Amino acid sequence: MGPVTGSFFDGQHAGRHRVEVTLDEAAGELIVTGPSLPEALHWPCARLRALEDLARGYSLTLTLHAETEDEAPRDPARLTINEPAMVARIRELCPDLHKRDLHRGTWRKIWTRGAMAVGAVVLMLFVILPRMADTLATIIPVEREIAFGKSVIAQMERALGAADLGDLRCRGEAGQAALDRMVARLSEGQDLQYDLEVRVFDDGMVNAFAAPGGQIVIMRGLLEDASGPDAVAAVLAHEIGHVEARDATRIALRAAGSAGLLSMVLGDFTGGTIAVVLGERIMQASYTREAEAAADVFALDMLNAAGVDSSGMAEFFDYIGELQGEFQIPEYLSTHPASEARAERARDNAEGQEGTTPVLGEAAWQALKGICG
Amino acid sequence: MISRLQTGARETLQGHYAGQRKPLFEIAVLTALLTTLTLGIYRFWAKTRVRRYVWSSINDGRDSFEYTGTGLEKLLGFLAAMVILAIYLGVVQMGLYYFGLTLFIEPQTEKQAMMQAAAMGITALAVLPLVFFAKYRARRYKMARTRWRGIRFGAEKGAWGYAARAMFHWLLSVLSLGLLLPWQTFRLERYVTDRSWYGDAPFQQGGKWTALLPMMAQIYMGLLIMVGGGTMAALTSLPEEGAMMAGLGFFWFIAGVVLYRVKAFCYLTTHKTLDGNIHFDAEVDTASLVATVFLGALVVAVITAVVYGALGAGVFLVVMPAVTMGQGAVFIAGILVIAAYLLATAIISSLALVWIVQPIIHQVVEAISVENADELQFIEQRSHDDGADAEGFADALDLAAAV
Repeated sequence: MGPVTGSFFDGQHAGRHRVEVTLDEAAGELIVTGPSLPEALHWPCARLRALEDLARGYSLTLTLHAETEDEAPRDPARLTINEPAMVARIRELCPDLHKRDLHRGTWRKIWTRGAMAVGAVVLMLFVILPRMADTLATIIPVEREIAFGKSVIAQMERALGAADLGDLRCRGEAGQAALDRMVARLSEGQDLQYDLEVRVFDDGMVNAFAAPGGQIVIMRGLLEDASGPDAVAAVLAHEIGHVEARDATRIALRAAGSAGLLSMVLGDFTGGTIAVVLGERIMQASYTREAEAAADVFALDMLNAAGVDSSGMAEFFDYIGELQGEFQIPEYLSTHPASEARAERARDNAEGQEGTTPVLGEAAWQALKGICG
Repeated sequence: MISRLQTGARETLQGHYAGQRKPLFEIAVLTALLTTLTLGIYRFWAKTRVRRYVWSSINDGRDSFEYTGTGLEKLLGFLAAMVILAIYLGVVQMGLYYFGLTLFIEPQTEKQAMMQAAAMGITALAVLPLVFFAKYRARRYKMARTRWRGIRFGAEKGAWGYAARAMFHWLLSVLSLGLLLPWQTFRLERYVTDRSWYGDAPFQQGGKWTALLPMMAQIYMGLLIMVGGGTMAALTSLPEEGAMMAGLGFFWFIAGVVLYRVKAFCYLTTHKTLDGNIHFDAEVDTASLVATVFLGALVVAVITAVVYGALGAGVFLVVMPAVTMGQGAVFIAGILVIAAYLLATAIISSLALVWIVQPIIHQVVEAISVENADELQFIEQRSHDDGADAEGFADALDLAAAV
């Protein structure tokens, strides 16, 4: 059918060619002629491609499939037709108008680049950043680490709702003396790199944490719920394990390196923020699970050396397991190994122990429990 | 539709914008949904489709722009950028964090503790040169993938030069309290324009930076009112009046910033030339542009509220009966709720594009005209540009604007 008028750009000059377009249905091609064209163009239907997502939907802009160096395998020439009947007929006759063509070798490119990107990210997250964090954590001067630890504890206090720094710290003198005695008993004969500073915070959480630089905080809730002084000693030994391994500093450094990386990988799309938080949680969890397991081993060794019964540790983990109840966080999300396994290990260890004595006498234990007044 | 004003032998082309809300909204919502369902991978194709629509809306009454970028090359560019950024970001951020740690002193007061927290935030500065680098490369890619009348636009390489100049000028602007902002605006625009091409014809930026100075008058006026209000609130017995004045000053300041940007844009556009003899004119009506943005934001807010309200009501209507019908029904209701939620977020994320961004582009395009346009026909094609990283860096750094 045709001819109808159209405008043609040859892809070499910006000048417009006014052309006549005829559709030769028998030959299956478009014939384009015009006074400014040196010769008639024959565009076969099978190679015709239409531009998509055009704002002026009534018009049809055509190009040809061709192996050019362009971003898509397309001829640079463009032919625009506005005449509705012709547009409809071409859409009807030419099946491949909306076909997506790829340059040869595209899939290989996707695979190699994809593998390289995944490889680089995995290498960074799981090999290079952890190594770097380990190294940096060992070369940081101790006084800087202590200062950093104090600011961590200050942040923690503020998060727990302290109006002024130091408000949360429990100051019972007899209790602190009992606590110091416990620390002394555990660290006796051990070659520790840090001067330990252990304190109790007035908060109901059943928890304890080790900040960088030898600073350990035990929550009041843990003292209240612990089965006895041996359980507290086990937790303390575990936290000393974190201190000696510089886990807090190391994990802060790792997080600093991996946080930016993760948010870059996952990008910002709807729900992207959730994905980033979840991803960071998983990364963090796998880092810390290793550290927790190592601290458990350290704690058992320390209890054995100090002659403290590790049944207290088993009881404590049993209790934690009960607290978590049936709604166990899946292990890959949790920062701690499963409680039953940890209790089991402590019980196994206790069977091999001989000549253990309670870490604190009854009076001292009561004083420690009452440290917050 | 055709508007060609013949003035002697000289032809003037007037910019037109043919885009409408509905088709763009359909593209945006559909691609946003696909992006979520593919965990973000489709975003490269989403951006491509939106741009194809917007570009094809821009015309001179006859010939439309064409966006030839592909989603695939954006994905490939992103993957390549990721390899480099993974190494750079990981190492540099950890290094800076360590450096921050070694500066640590024991926080004695609340204030010191806050200062240290802020110091840690400075690690973000590590990406600043990359941000400017990525910005220039993203623009170069956009130019390389824009065609009009079948002829490619293009930009030369120069991302590091741009990053260095941008850092330098930003520093100067900040140190001079904004006084040298026009210098920054002008020099950076000139750097970019003088490296831009249409076919084999170069763009050139003329004019003087000092011409931009008076355009900042309303910004200073706003600042003056703010400071005056603040002083009044602090020193006199009229704290409320002072605070109100400071608030007025703030709005004045914002309006001043918009005014500056629009005026600077018009000045810089009218002082550009293409191929030495093709000129441009830009007469943006600032008041109507501000009104467009304001009304657009209002509409976006209202529709967002309505969509969330409908979502809440829908969830209630679906879940309540399902609970009484047993587990199977609850499962189906759960799927319905998730689907409705995804649709709602896709709609909401598309609103700004349709109600704010597109109307701005519309107004700006229609305010631009090209003088001496018959010279355009002598322009010839330029060769293909591989498009740098196809915005990979900008995307990885979350800088890439939709359009």
